Amino acid sequence: MILQTVDTLSSLVLLSILFAFGSSRIPVLINVIAFQGLVVSVVPFFIGHQMTTGSMIFTIVTLVIRGILIPLSIHIAIKKVAIQRDVSPIIGYHASLFCGLGLIVAATIISRQLNISSISESHLVFPTAISLLVTGMFLLMARRNAIAMIAGYIMLENGIYLMGTTFSVRVRHVVEFGILLDVLAGVMIMAIILQNIKQTFDDVDTTHLRTLKE
Amino acid sequence: MVEMVFLTPFFTGLLAFVLPGIIRRQLLVVTGAVHLILSLMLWKNSPRAWLAEYFAVTPEGLLSLLVISILFFLIAIYTRGYLAAHSLKSENIFTGFMLLFLSTMTMVTLSDHIMVLWIAIEATTLASAPLIYTHRSGASLEATWKYVLICSVGIAMGLLGSLFLTLAMELGQVTTAMSFSALTPVARHLDLVWLKAGFIFIVVGYGTKMGLAPMHTWLPDAHSEAPSPASALLSGALLNCAYLGIFKTHKIMVAAGLGDFSGTILIVFGLLSILAAATFILKQTEYKRMLAYSSIENMGIIAFGTGIGGIGAYGAVICMIHHSLIKSSLFLSSGNILMGYKNRLIRNTGGMATRMPKTFVAFFAGVAGISGFPPFGIFIGELFIIMGAFKSGHYLAAGIFIMSLCVIFAGFINYAIKICFDPAADTSPEPAGFIETPCFVWPQYMLLLTSLVLCFYVPDALYQTIVDAVHAIGGGLQ
Repeated sequence: MILQTVDTLSSLVLLSILFAFGSSRIPVLINVIAFQGLVVSVVPFFIGHQMTTGSMIFTIVTLVIRGILIPLSIHIAIKKVAIQRDVSPIIGYHASLFCGLGLIVAATIISRQLNISSISESHLVFPTAISLLVTGMFLLMARRNAIAMIAGYIMLENGIYLMGTTFSVRVRHVVEFGILLDVLAGVMIMAIILQNIKQTFDDVDTTHLRTLKE
Repeated sequence: MVEMVFLTPFFTGLLAFVLPGIIRRQLLVVTGAVHLILSLMLWKNSPRAWLAEYFAVTPEGLLSLLVISILFFLIAIYTRGYLAAHSLKSENIFTGFMLLFLSTMTMVTLSDHIMVLWIAIEATTLASAPLIYTHRSGASLEATWKYVLICSVGIAMGLLGSLFLTLAMELGQVTTAMSFSALTPVARHLDLVWLKAGFIFIVVGYGTKMGLAPMHTWLPDAHSEAPSPASALLSGALLNCAYLGIFKTHKIMVAAGLGDFSGTILIVFGLLSILAAATFILKQTEYKRMLAYSSIENMGIIAFGTGIGGIGAYGAVICMIHHSLIKSSLFLSSGNILMGYKNRLIRNTGGMATRMPKTFVAFFAGVAGISGFPPFGIFIGELFIIMGAFKSGHYLAAGIFIMSLCVIFAGFINYAIKICFDPAADTSPEPAGFIETPCFVWPQYMLLLTSLVLCFYVPDALYQTIVDAVHAIGGGLQ
């Protein structure tokens, strides 16, 4: 029963990944990362590890940071910079969507090969984590819009977190909290840079950021 | 006690955001001095940390910490003059983040827990990003954006690698603490497949931060756009911190019997970096970018030496120490050149030997040192690495290594001669109000002098610490 919940959550994340591949609008992308942040941070409740009071509190803190604070900081930055609402793809949306499908299949096959069934009984968590990771990478490479790139970074982090929840039982919450704080601070700094990019170039297309080279 | 070393600059850094100008600049120097004293005290009696699960004093950490501490103290003296000469709009932000940067780098050197090390390395990125954006220009914005994004994504790979290490622990049913010092003795019980995967991701992740090719693309931009004192810190101290992460993981690999595997990876990345530097240094137009590529080269040399092992690993640590000392002096001198000529391009400089004789001495001695001339330490380090490479039978790698060093030397010295002696540009206007006051040249002299002295006389404590550090990766003077 509990495992089914985890698999349902994972499949929701997988769907949102496809959504991210196909969407052209920035606000949609922000909603997708907020949704993924929320879902990914509730997974520990259902994964079957013993929950102590400490881990309960930590999971809720994660939920607040990943699901609310991080997307909100991007959202505020966007509001201030009155955004151009297209993600300026280098690879088109249909091709992206096709890449996404191929990616999920590949992730599933790869996680079957990995010898980790003793760690996690759920079938979908590991493929989902890999898919999230690679989707983040893809957005970083295949979009020119700075906001889409930051969204890619957040997805990458969410993927790593999801992977960590499946097996890092021994890591103390203080340490996990430190990691979370680093990610939050990183996203906030990126949001500040975003505002400055907009002010300096009157755009958030990263093609303006190509003057420094050999 | 151990934690004090990074908590002190942390709190003074927070103070610097609110204090008025003159006190703030003094605070920078005073913190540097206090930090130096605290680091030396760690050397004297290597105490246990309060949070022994997360922090520990290790030989390699002590070495990097001392280098960072000396560097910061001297750079702080330079910065005090620099800030007085330049009226930066956001001086409190600059000073505050300099101190926070020192605090995070110190935390890296003292971290023992795998994840705490990751947290500290990511924190160095965040604390140094505002330093790069000090000049508030379009180019510095671009450099900051690339720095934060590339390094954050890179270091995220490092986090993934660290997670794989926990997975290797779990599959191998190892139940010790997740710290490097606890894992090294039981490394043989770890799951080897995931340990290998973890190492690869950690090398790619921390290697991005260290400036190993092909993940080095942020480095020339960030180093050339940051104000010179910040570039000196980035190049001299930050790159070593990232190297420390790779070094510690390499230690686990060697203990697990996978030393050949990890060594080969380090050799390949090292050679790639040296080759990339040799390709790009030949056609540089800006002197700060040229110095940045030389940093990539030296990081390559260090990775190469570590991968070779034996006497090569000893040489790598020697190179690490001397590269920090000499390269930061060069970046400070490049700050003087920028103030004297008001130009970043090599072709708009020239005749420095007559226009700025004191800076010229520091710059030219630094160039000689960094290209591996005796009597500076990099010469000895590189010699050890080449000897190690031949001893262990890496003939082809050693050949590529020596060839690239020659090319880099030729490119580097060519531009340095142009900057120092070329009479053509001597018709340009006189130094625009730049006077070589002692605080703009003595820090460089002190750095070079330290390198020079360390070349002839190594204190016993230092020698023993280096030997202890490289012993764990199969290195030594034999």
